[in-house]
Amino acid sequence: MGDPDDELLARVAAGDPSAVRALVARKLPRLLALAGRMLGDAAAAEDVAQEAFLRVWRQAPKWRSGAARFDTWLHRVALNLCYDRLRKRREVAYAEPPDQPDEAPGPERGLEAEDTGRRVAAALAALPDRQREAVVLCHYQELGNIEAARLMGVSVEALESLLGRARRALRARLADMRA
Amino acid sequence: MKAERFEGLAQAYGGDVGRWPLEERDAAAAVMAADPAWTGAVLARASVLDDALDAYRAPEATGVLAEAIAASAPRAGPRHWRTWLAPAGLGAGLAAACAAGVIAGVQWGPTLVPVPAPAVAGEADDVATAADDEDFNLFVDEDA
Repeated sequence: MGDPDDELLARVAAGDPSAVRALVARKLPRLLALAGRMLGDAAAAEDVAQEAFLRVWRQAPKWRSGAARFDTWLHRVALNLCYDRLRKRREVAYAEPPDQPDEAPGPERGLEAEDTGRRVAAALAALPDRQREAVVLCHYQELGNIEAARLMGVSVEALESLLGRARRALRARLADMRA
Repeated sequence: MKAERFEGLAQAYGGDVGRWPLEERDAAAAVMAADPAWTGAVLARASVLDDALDAYRAPEATGVLAEAIAASAPRAGPRHWRTWLAPAGLGAGLAAACAAGVIAGVQWGPTLVPVPAPAVAGEADDVATAADDEDFNLFVDEDA
């Protein structure tokens, strides 16, 4: 089966503005979602998306579909950019420890999705990076187990182990929500 | 499929069997048919976390961001003209004519003003960064 992005990429490589807009419309939402949940920071996610697309423009003329699908390659590029930022964040945090995010339920906590979303975001941010990556790829990006494992450079068994540990930790952190 | 494996899959992939590995779903369906009460409880427990995860909305792409990204793409330029002119042997001729015009502009008077070449988007950058960018080496097929 061919890569569904091949034709669009060829048109991007030829400098077709409508293909550029179509590719942005097709990939940007997933890219932002990936970076947003990996980094927990919408502004940083936008930076990652912009940088990732700069690499797409450079890669498009050279792209040949093969073992890797374009979407998988794009996920890897975005994840690398996220890890660069997480690394820098850790270096800064080491020099200057930040305040801990407040993830405790407030006195008037209700069942509003927004509140739940904030708490899940904090719980996800507290996971080790590789566990968070596994959850983001499998649950949010809805990648299949083989593709997610390949993207992470681990076996399917290792991916399942990461997912299992991540979900146990999330359940523990969100226990008062009966998650 | 053993009960332990069923639980392990729910633990890893959540309460929606449609998200489980394709090759395990038939066996999972058989377990569910054999013990709907127990499997239902396992899936329901896993689904509570799924629902909580789904409450975390991703940042949404704004039109401004999409436009800015689209504007960062290179446009069709002289490089593409070269591509389709070259087979007809016109590329070299055009280049020679341009070179002659530039020389004329420089040497033979102020009336022939060389027109700045349009930016060839990213050409030098391609060469410089493709070699440096680790992302381009992630998959062997890219450079094979």
